[in-house]
Amino acid sequence: MFTFQESEIKNLLNALAKEYKVFVPAKVGDESKFVPYDDNVELYWDRNVLLSVKDKFFPHTEPMYKFKTKRKTVEIEPLASKDEPVLLFGVRSCDLQALNCLDQVFLTKGFVDEFYRTKRDQATIVALGCNEAEDTCFCTAMGVDPQKGNGADIQAYRTQGKFGMEALTEKGQKIIDILKSYLKEENLQVPETQGFQLQPDMDGVAEKLKGMFDAELWAEVAPTCLNCGACTYICPTCHCFDISQDVRGEEGFKYRCWDSCMFEEYTLMAGGHNPRPSKKERVRNRFMHKLCYFPERYNMLLCTGCGRCLNVCPVNLHITSIIGKVKEAN
Amino acid sequence: MSSCSCGHEHDQAINPLIPTRAKVIKIVEETPDVKTFFISTLDDKKPFDPNPGQLGMLSLPDIGEAMFSVTDKGENHIEMAIKAIGKLTYTLHEIEVGQEVGIRGPYGNGFPLDYFKGKDILFIGGGIGLAPVRSLIMHCLRNREDYGKLTVVYGARSKADLCFKDDLFNNWPKVPNMEVFITIDKEEEGWDGHVGFVPAYVEELAPKPQATVLCGPPIMIKFTLPILQKMGFADKDIITTLEMRMKCGIGKCGRCNIGSKYVCLDGPVFSMEELKDLPPEY
Repeated sequence: MFTFQESEIKNLLNALAKEYKVFVPAKVGDESKFVPYDDNVELYWDRNVLLSVKDKFFPHTEPMYKFKTKRKTVEIEPLASKDEPVLLFGVRSCDLQALNCLDQVFLTKGFVDEFYRTKRDQATIVALGCNEAEDTCFCTAMGVDPQKGNGADIQAYRTQGKFGMEALTEKGQKIIDILKSYLKEENLQVPETQGFQLQPDMDGVAEKLKGMFDAELWAEVAPTCLNCGACTYICPTCHCFDISQDVRGEEGFKYRCWDSCMFEEYTLMAGGHNPRPSKKERVRNRFMHKLCYFPERYNMLLCTGCGRCLNVCPVNLHITSIIGKVKEAN
Repeated sequence: MSSCSCGHEHDQAINPLIPTRAKVIKIVEETPDVKTFFISTLDDKKPFDPNPGQLGMLSLPDIGEAMFSVTDKGENHIEMAIKAIGKLTYTLHEIEVGQEVGIRGPYGNGFPLDYFKGKDILFIGGGIGLAPVRSLIMHCLRNREDYGKLTVVYGARSKADLCFKDDLFNNWPKVPNMEVFITIDKEEEGWDGHVGFVPAYVEELAPKPQATVLCGPPIMIKFTLPILQKMGFADKDIITTLEMRMKCGIGKCGRCNIGSKYVCLDGPVFSMEELKDLPPEY
């Protein structure tokens, strides 16, 4: 394994910033998220960031193309995508697994989403193992190894005042090559992640849910939901989007932005029909999508156990408790 | 520049979410609230070549974009019959020939043409529900020898609300081995045809096809299904086409799911056998 002293980190990031646009986990006011690296950034390694890296590949709002409408004419002009290599340093296993979910959605089943693919292709990802689980973490229950970022280009660890790094891909090897002069080769004991408190039992849940569309559970849990959408906004795997336009006179641009299955308008049709008219249908769809429909379609869960939705839900309607209720249901 | 499987060089990979510029070359007023739009590219080509039952995303970029079934296609155009029901469709009803639009597609699975081959087919439509069904009827007419007897049972609220009147009253009744039965909901002056709802009319006519295609308002489908089942149809021989709110059309944006299927991608055409495996949420 290649190692370097944690005190050296800024020198390494500076070296990488010459070749890449580097994003690092940082504290920004009350929030923590991935921000472009510069010397003044307050690096944040102790816990996972509040906002996942989802928006680096699938931004909240993303312009798609420009248009001009004048009398009977319509002009459509695609927007050039930025062509710059990006490096994300310190992505946790749960958030890497979320990217694997998004890859399924945006890159498979006949159509490739070019907006997503471009950013995905440009990115090199350094995963960072977790030493300590938070109260809301349950990644291991969802099949995620907190010390192994599935799909990363480099796996990094932070322990004993050092960082350790192992290249997993060619892209990752390039990072090692760039940093060579800073690195030392030595054995570093990979720490075991401590402190998991939540262990929802997923055994048989996806299969059982197939027969639970009409279960009483949904009517029981739905009334507490506020349909605020916070869970879908904060979720690293939620990928639903709306397409709309910003019009200024004859010119405008089409954009897509995050949307939420918690909102009534999400499925409301022009004629007034809504296949998911009340909280019950919307809450059911969210949990079914994550734990049953997505596994059926892509053979993987649409939940990585990051625990963010547990932190933000104002009424404590937790996916972990839903999993428990599904297990208990007759 | 990158090569792709079509053998051409492209400046960039084709982005399925960006529409092609196109224009409306003809508008037919079907009913007081349905118009058919004929759409070509600016150089008079077909914007894309849809199979019967497939969909297209049509847009007035400053107003909005929505998914419509393609009603038929010609040498250099596709047709979409559109009912004025929301902001985009009301605006579409105000445009004139020559208006440019955005178009992308084709989307969805379309009708299972191989399955229909050699069969007698019953087409059941209600109101604007005849629009997607018409694409299959027109396909059968262009390949007449591949299909058996064609029977159309179609109903609308009133005589004025019947779509594709020229086909219903002039073109289709003249086709050999094809019958057209039309009904309206209530008696009205100047109408000496059948009066009554579609499900009851189907029961009364008791046709003996080998496959059925139906599309119409949910209430029509709800009451027609038991009748078809009583007539001895297996679920696999009852085919329908669904609609849902859609934004991307390519199975990414999430909203048109029924269980683990996306109507824009895995549908819009489903057999009753397939729908029985899915949650009843449409």
